[in-house]
Amino acid sequence: MTGAFASLTAGRLGLITAGVVLAALFPLVYHDPYYMTIIVTAEIVLILNISWNFVLGMAGVWNFAQLAIYALGAYGSGWLMLHQTWIPVPVAIVLGGLFAAVVSVLLAFPTLRLFGIYTSLLTFAFAQVVQYVALNNPRNLTGGSYGYPSVPGLFPHLGQTAYLRAYYWVCAGVIVASCLAVAWLRQSHLGIALRSIRDAPAYTAARGVNPRAARVAAFGLSGFLAGIAGGLYLSFEQSFTTNQMGLTPMSIDVTMLVIGGIGTVTGPLIGTAILTVIHTQLINYPGWEFTVLGIILLVIVIFVPGGLVGLISRADRRVRSWVAEGADAEA
Amino acid sequence: MTEIVAIIANAVVYGSIYGLVAIGMTLIYGTLRILDMSQGSMVMVGGYVGWWAMATHGINPALALVLAFVFTFGLGTVTELVSVQPLIGRQKSVDFEMVTFITTFAVAIFLTNVALQHFGPFQQNVPSIVGGNLELYNRVSISYHELTMAGISVVLMSGLGLFLARTRWGLAIRAVAQDLDAARSLAVPVTRLYPLTMGLASALAGVGGVFLGALYFASPTAGDLPLLQALIVVVLGGLGSLSGTLYAAYLVGLMQAFCEVEFGTTWTLPILYTAILVILIVRPNGLKGSPSEARL
Amino acid sequence: MSATLEVHGLAAGYDQSIVVRDLDLVVEAGSTVVVIGPNGHGKTTLLRAISGLIKPARGEVLLDGERIDGRPAERISAMGVVHVMQGDGLFADMTVEENLLMGAFHGASWRHRGTALKRVYHELPVVEEKRAQKARTLSGGERRLVGLGRGMMRPARLLLIDEPSLGLAPVAIEAVYAVIRRLHDESEAAIILIEENFTHIEGVADLVHILEAGSLVRSGSYAELSQDRTVVETYLGSIAEPGA
Repeated sequence: MTGAFASLTAGRLGLITAGVVLAALFPLVYHDPYYMTIIVTAEIVLILNISWNFVLGMAGVWNFAQLAIYALGAYGSGWLMLHQTWIPVPVAIVLGGLFAAVVSVLLAFPTLRLFGIYTSLLTFAFAQVVQYVALNNPRNLTGGSYGYPSVPGLFPHLGQTAYLRAYYWVCAGVIVASCLAVAWLRQSHLGIALRSIRDAPAYTAARGVNPRAARVAAFGLSGFLAGIAGGLYLSFEQSFTTNQMGLTPMSIDVTMLVIGGIGTVTGPLIGTAILTVIHTQLINYPGWEFTVLGIILLVIVIFVPGGLVGLISRADRRVRSWVAEGADAEA
Repeated sequence: MTEIVAIIANAVVYGSIYGLVAIGMTLIYGTLRILDMSQGSMVMVGGYVGWWAMATHGINPALALVLAFVFTFGLGTVTELVSVQPLIGRQKSVDFEMVTFITTFAVAIFLTNVALQHFGPFQQNVPSIVGGNLELYNRVSISYHELTMAGISVVLMSGLGLFLARTRWGLAIRAVAQDLDAARSLAVPVTRLYPLTMGLASALAGVGGVFLGALYFASPTAGDLPLLQALIVVVLGGLGSLSGTLYAAYLVGLMQAFCEVEFGTTWTLPILYTAILVILIVRPNGLKGSPSEARL
Repeated sequence: MSATLEVHGLAAGYDQSIVVRDLDLVVEAGSTVVVIGPNGHGKTTLLRAISGLIKPARGEVLLDGERIDGRPAERISAMGVVHVMQGDGLFADMTVEENLLMGAFHGASWRHRGTALKRVYHELPVVEEKRAQKARTLSGGERRLVGLGRGMMRPARLLLIDEPSLGLAPVAIEAVYAVIRRLHDESEAAIILIEENFTHIEGVADLVHILEAGSLVRSGSYAELSQDRTVVETYLGSIAEPGA
């Protein structure tokens, strides 16, 4: 496991492990159900963001259909939970993820021929179609604007505190697994291929990397994760409305990615955390919340394009070179 | 026969709406190579200006239109200076398009929510520019307001065409669209030209907003649908092609009119979007588009 | 009296690679300087760095004693630097006349565009013939002439011409160089002409510089350099060997 974690010094590894352990122990000491619900929801959004970050930031593909894929994962696993009750719920969620992955892969193919910005329009149009179709609730598959009916879910028999804790841990597990996966993928052939396609497309083609396969893979993998997030959401909230894939959550998620830093591994974590906090503070003033959101998005993109992660790593490098200079001077 | 008249009448009306709303977006894409997601909000702002001027202050319609034009022109200029200008020259062109997609989107969010805070989520009635209806055939009628809108739309679009073809600054805008470096080497002040272009485009959308307001109310989210409609038209026509946008506007208007009469309004937009999907798959650059050439 | 153009220690390039390194150049008013060099060694980069289309990484560029390096291209152009770009830099979807008019875009020149247009049509009747055609429909040679014509639409202190003979048939090259020779004779501007080889520059060049690997390695008059065997062999032009 050299490549992915080469940048991890012992210190950093220690910090991360400590963080993970603390996060795991957290629900044992904290019980407020209102905030725990928010936290679990934020975890699910984070999974979605990690998936979106992979295709948007690391592969550099203008994919604006991610929320529709997420929804399809929810609808897919929901259908299985309701109508194929012999399938255990965790499997249903995974299958929902696979369904979303397949759709995502199918969506990838037309984008292969398209010039950058047209991809955004194609995926955007696709997302709109999915949303409209879902709103019209064909054959009761989506629940229309009332939302999906209640499903068995992962932990149907737990009391409230235990329910929240269980979901917290499951989601945290998925988050850790996906972060590890993303970090590993980054260093893998696929990750390098994706980054070189993003940064220098002509060069990549000349080097014999197959950009099409890489892109399709990126769509598929991110679709899978998004689908799982959808299934988790449906299972946790016991509902899923078409609003979940509208422009509003999309703007929130984009802002989360941008604040954290598109294309970085930890970016989505930071961005999701910060915006969730802002969201809880401003939840009673939707007008203000989004005005602030718009401003933040604008300011960050212009002044801090690498997001907060970029800012921190730049600061970190400066501190280290300052320290190195000091050491040199003394030597 | 009644159906055909209804379809054509509606097609003309829709086509002019789409034209006004999309033409600005194409102008911006042609010169700046960005997709301006704030165009929808300019329509919304225009609607509010129309309401404020005509409903609350009794200002006459013609003056209201001028006010909307001027106000959204200014707003568009500021939007460019705030959300596009700082990013120019900073990064690779593909990143530039994506980032400005986000920043102009951010401006749209900002404007929508300022309107929400200030006016509340209520729909406001915007008075018609001209009252009364014209009966066409067998009880199919078209309002004078809609006729005026179609007329003004044609006037504005021709005006834009003349401006681009015959004036010094119109020529400069086309030059920048076709070859930025060559234009710069001919002393075209691109840093002044960009805000001007975006202001002009936003002004067109603003005027469209006044007309649309009478048909669909002024509200903070009044710009959402026009934005989506503009995207459809602009993609179909080929990004950056003015003539393509015009054809596409009336084509989409026709498609929408046809869908509504035959299938009812619920399925119209999904059908339109599916049409885009199909067209993009078959013709990756839209009906008349081609990525390496600009046709402004 | 300072020269029209002075370049000191110029370094310029794209993204991470430096193409022009430590280049010095002086061009006097009214003279025509030719820079010869192989492809990829920095000729076009040099002109673009002077006209401001790219920003120099290091060094100074002075126009009549005033520093212009680092300024945006549109400002430098407004100061009287006319850059006739490689290929032709024409606006493909505009007519020939519209292209020419854009040459006079800058403030004062715009007012006199009618006169300038007449003058250019007089000098280049071929261009006048095609005035209403879209630039994309013209042949390579015709487009090159339009490009030159566009550069003639306003008074220039410094005229930069990038490989005017590139990709043209001999007849077209003749026509293009006829115009360049007239400019050399009649214009007060300092002219920098870049070419890949010696073939056509006799009679036009007051001074010739050889550009290799981003710097000027040799300079001299056309007569001197065209006698030099190594130079001639490297930049194989059509300087015929006597009795060959």
